[in-house]
Amino acid sequence: MINYSVFLPEICLTVTAGLILIWDLFLKKERDRMFLSWVAALGLLAALLSMHCQGNFFCAGSCPMGSMPMETFNGFLKLDSLAVYFKTVVILATLLTLLITHRHFKAQPTPYPAEFLAILLFSAAGASALSSAQEVVTLYIALETLTISSYLLASFMKKDKKSNEAGMKYLLIGAFSSALLLFGFSYLYGLCGTTTLTGMAKALSSQPVSPLGVLAVILVIAGLSFKISLAPFHMWTPDVYEGAPTPITAFLSTVSKTAGFAAFIRIFWVGLAVPSLQPVWISLFAVLAAASIVLGNLEALPQTNLKRLMAYSSIAQAGYISTAFLAGGQLGLTAVLFYLFVYTFANMGVFLSIALVSAKTGSEEISEFGGMWKRSPIIGVMLLVGLLSLAGVPPFAGFSGKWYLFAAAIHQGYTWLAMTGMVFSVVSLYYYLMVAKQALVSDSADSSPIPVNFLEKSVLLLCIAVTVVLGFWPAPVMKMAETAASSLF
Amino acid sequence: MLSVLTAIIVPFLTSFLAFHCAGPGCACLPVLTCFILIPNIAALAILVSGERFIRWISLVAASLELGLAMHVLTSFSIAEGGFQFVEKVPWLTNLGINYLLGVDGMSTLMVFLVACVYFAGTLISWNITLRTREYYVLFSLLVGGVAGAYVSLDLFFFFLFYEFAVLPMYLLVGIWGSGRKEYAAMKLTVMLLAGSAFMLVGFLAMYFTSNVHTFDIRILGHLSQTGFSVDFQKTWFPLLFLGFGVIAAVFPFHTWSPDGYGSAPTAASMLHAGVLKSLGGYSIIRVALPSMPDGAKFWLPLLVVLTLINILYAAFVALKQKDFKYVIAYSSVSHCGAILFGICTMQVAGINGAVIQTLSHGIVAAMTFALVGTVYGKAHTRELIKLGGLGKAMPILGGLFVAAAMANVGLPGLSGFVGEFLIFMGAFKSGFSIFQLLFPIAILAIVMTAVYYLRLVQMVFYGPVKDTHMLEGEGHDGTFIEILPIAFLLVVSLAVGLYPKPFVDLSNSAIAPLVDLIGGFK
Repeated sequence: MINYSVFLPEICLTVTAGLILIWDLFLKKERDRMFLSWVAALGLLAALLSMHCQGNFFCAGSCPMGSMPMETFNGFLKLDSLAVYFKTVVILATLLTLLITHRHFKAQPTPYPAEFLAILLFSAAGASALSSAQEVVTLYIALETLTISSYLLASFMKKDKKSNEAGMKYLLIGAFSSALLLFGFSYLYGLCGTTTLTGMAKALSSQPVSPLGVLAVILVIAGLSFKISLAPFHMWTPDVYEGAPTPITAFLSTVSKTAGFAAFIRIFWVGLAVPSLQPVWISLFAVLAAASIVLGNLEALPQTNLKRLMAYSSIAQAGYISTAFLAGGQLGLTAVLFYLFVYTFANMGVFLSIALVSAKTGSEEISEFGGMWKRSPIIGVMLLVGLLSLAGVPPFAGFSGKWYLFAAAIHQGYTWLAMTGMVFSVVSLYYYLMVAKQALVSDSADSSPIPVNFLEKSVLLLCIAVTVVLGFWPAPVMKMAETAASSLF
Repeated sequence: MLSVLTAIIVPFLTSFLAFHCAGPGCACLPVLTCFILIPNIAALAILVSGERFIRWISLVAASLELGLAMHVLTSFSIAEGGFQFVEKVPWLTNLGINYLLGVDGMSTLMVFLVACVYFAGTLISWNITLRTREYYVLFSLLVGGVAGAYVSLDLFFFFLFYEFAVLPMYLLVGIWGSGRKEYAAMKLTVMLLAGSAFMLVGFLAMYFTSNVHTFDIRILGHLSQTGFSVDFQKTWFPLLFLGFGVIAAVFPFHTWSPDGYGSAPTAASMLHAGVLKSLGGYSIIRVALPSMPDGAKFWLPLLVVLTLINILYAAFVALKQKDFKYVIAYSSVSHCGAILFGICTMQVAGINGAVIQTLSHGIVAAMTFALVGTVYGKAHTRELIKLGGLGKAMPILGGLFVAAAMANVGLPGLSGFVGEFLIFMGAFKSGFSIFQLLFPIAILAIVMTAVYYLRLVQMVFYGPVKDTHMLEGEGHDGTFIEILPIAFLLVVSLAVGLYPKPFVDLSNSAIAPLVDLIGGFK
């Protein structure tokens, strides 16, 4: 029997996406189509609620609506609190993406807004399914749903050369990395005779370390590292981030990355956490994490385009998160989950600000952000709070996030990695502060105000509030992250 | 006239109110939480208040803060010792982080210092007209940060509040500063946060290495409980010292300090030089020394040499400065070197001296920066060549500056003397032979301080009048609102200088047990 409630969020998302595509056929006027983004938002909200009513996530064991973890398709999909956590982050981030989309399309109209929304929802459905996948083929399909939709979205601005370039680059490199990933999975299947992650763990734990296993691990890491842009597999990131429409850049930097870490956690901490292979992939990750932190931060320094800068920043952030990921354990995974939440809100706020400013000025150059304190103070404050949270400066949430990330790393003896992370956080402070300085200290020739409507203002305030409050008082989200992480152990 | 009266009455009444409310009247009030919250709430209130009320809100908040500080200072029981006014709320259970506040004799003095400088800084900023609202918001947040750092007993919160204070500083220097302000702001922020990067890793290493897994500073100060091995201490003490030393502007990490203070707006220099910088020495005494005494002893020769360079080098550089404010900035670096030198003696009198010198330096540096800012506001230049004979145009400010200079030099009767005397006594009595060898060199620094301060007084306030505009008309001297904060700080400095016993007793109640614990010298 199929337990539909396990993939209710995905059902909500795909049904809404289908509905939008059909509804679009009956709409005549351009203006009406903007209304569809409200439908998409409703679909996302439905997905969010569907999950929380059945999972006992917020009601800690006493919820009458169902019990977790729930499984279906012979355990190929499992809704545990880890999956609920990831889905929550993914859906919230997609909601914020919708808002950015709205502003983006006002400035640069497209004839196909319905298609854009539908693909965005499909993509979110992929990310959402990925977080509950317990088996490598399901996982691969979910991942491809996410990434193939992203290729389309990245190149959505047909007339814009940069957007086309971004889509093309992303497609070629993404396809290549997917092939590597699949290749790695096939070796794993050959070694274990099963595609389920728990089965793999069982089969591998009785085997000595084999060259084939190591090769498989390398291929899987390489394939997935492309998705979360860990150095040295990060080359595509700046070009794609710069060329893609701003909402999609925001989406890639948060949803894609979150989903990528979901896949990493499932594959490595469930499937490959065996004594024979663990030291191999942990040391590989340590190298990748250090390289991302160093390269991402150093290459971000000379950037003049804010979207490009955010691309390099996101590479560095992936590095920080990986330090706790490889440390693992309850503490490490809690840190990863908490940081992803914090990172999502800070990044989304920054990208919303970018969308607002570039809708007015038509450019994402950092110099365009001058004088924001007088043109639109809330954007200025959002940039300051969001970027400094990414830098890990108190009292913002990124600080408590990094405290946990590096605590986890030091706990497992990776003091050198934590030290690298901290030192390069200071490097990152320089380029983040340069942007904040532009917005809050410098003056600009053009001092006309940047229009921000009520909804956008409230969301900016929400992002600021979340980022500040979680810095002082991380306990609520930390508890959720802890519950989620404990479902693995 | 009316505003003059209100400017006296309002602070007086409000601080009296705070002093009494916190007292036996309602002992339930969490005093230290209020101490942190008042500036932060003031920042929020200023954010939404009407243009007219901004300064008054800040003044009321500062007076409340001063009242609370007086309450803490007077009701702290020296006989009982230890940490008092302790508040503890579990915060993050998975890493054992608690919201833990408390003061001992040493931090009581720092609390008092924060409140004094907050009060004076609010008044000295009265004439700021550029983006006033943002200025006072950031200024209040800066105070909120440092206030938190001095009363936190959990490393997480200590770190959080400390870095929280650095950020407003960046904007204060960047927006309201002068000269190469953006460069100075960036340098200051990046250097301070680079130092704290080492601090954070050090804290986490301490947490995971200790037997007790805690961020509680009180417990981390007992080797018998934490069980840090000597090797661990040798590795991590220098890193912690580096982190704290950057804040205290120890050579060679002092370069942020002159540029930062040279460019910062007056009140920001006052707070930063007087209060935030003192956090460096304070946290070495609070965290680094008690938790890693063997590491400290191992590295001591190097530290002594560094601090001596600090004292002397900064003094010589101050002598050659062409900018009025840079002289004061280097003088502050030199004085902080003396504080660290006192700590290095590992001896009761020496560390007591360091604590008193921290208090004194805070008050005196704030006073001196306030004077420089006020004079700059009138003379419109800080270049020493263009200044001269200002004593004729501004006799009151001139007189106050001479007093401030004497306090810096360490004239008996003013606060600077007490600290320096104790530090040198400690150095003389210290069991480490290196002190007997080197301490005459440190004495030389006092002479140097006198030389460059007297040179300053002579160049700025005496001699021929360079800018003849200053002789025309009236009103070049400080106004009431400018004199008030400076006079207030001078009174505090005199109080510490003339009757240091209560202050030294307070400090001693924290330091004597500490020296016992770390096995220093009696």
